[in-house]
Amino acid sequence: MTTMTRAESEPIDCRTAVQRLWDYLDGELDAVRLAEVTAHVERCAACNEHVQFARTFLTALSASRAEVADAPALRSRVVSALQREGFSST
Amino acid sequence: MNDRDAHFEKSALTCLPDVARFARSLTRSESAADDLVQETFLRAYRGYASFQPGADVRRWLFTICHHAFLRIQEREQRMVLSSDGDDAELETLGAVMGHVAAQRSGLDAYVCSIDVGPAIRDAIEQLAAPYRLAVTLVDVEGMSYDESAQVAAVPVGTIRSRLFRARRLLQEQLFEYARDLGFTGAADTTRTTRESVSITSPRPDQ
Repeated sequence: MTTMTRAESEPIDCRTAVQRLWDYLDGELDAVRLAEVTAHVERCAACNEHVQFARTFLTALSASRAEVADAPALRSRVVSALQREGFSST
Repeated sequence: MNDRDAHFEKSALTCLPDVARFARSLTRSESAADDLVQETFLRAYRGYASFQPGADVRRWLFTICHHAFLRIQEREQRMVLSSDGDDAELETLGAVMGHVAAQRSGLDAYVCSIDVGPAIRDAIEQLAAPYRLAVTLVDVEGMSYDESAQVAAVPVGTIRSRLFRARRLLQEQLFEYARDLGFTGAADTTRTTRESVSITSPRPDQ
């Protein structure tokens, strides 16, 4: 069995939990640390609020992605430049 | 149209909007970004034989784009050295402390209730280039730390520390934006005390 169970993870304090906050939300923690933070956040209301706020913040960052205003015109320009290099478009 | 060109059009050119958005984040100038996009695709086309079939074409194009941008910067001698975050964990902790302070006045709830998209875009543009690159790759384009490190040609730890500093700075900018909108909240001292203790005093969970 390779899965780390909750019972195997060590209790961590709030400071340790919030230091791992962004790694936790980014899915960059190993299984042991993930289990430790998950267990802490489930039991600690204050840290859970930090997680919820950070999650909302990261969602807003992701949603800020602006689309290119005139992608077709830029594509035409790029294709023209490529055609001068021998590229043949459909 | 030969197979190579057909494949290039199907795989690489379809990423043009992504590359254009990435170039815009690097240059902060629409005309410079368009030049960079053109240069990126020219380099990609010339080097397409070296592209490994099945590899992530978007990441490959972002890497070319970033290299081209750096070369342009070197040519124009506008390279600005910037220190990295010394400690990623301290940056995370700093952001949480910023959240604690915002909780005191209800500023955090206010920020969550308004459209912060334009403010975030402005704040990202104001970041120094290394931080803007990290947050753009990870948070805006959705790449992992490892993928972003490959595009930026820096160690994973460097991307992580730059990313965390960028997020802390962006969060501070977001709170400033909310205050500029005229937010005035009443202090919630009960909640403040509980939150402050939770961060500054080690408290193992049971």
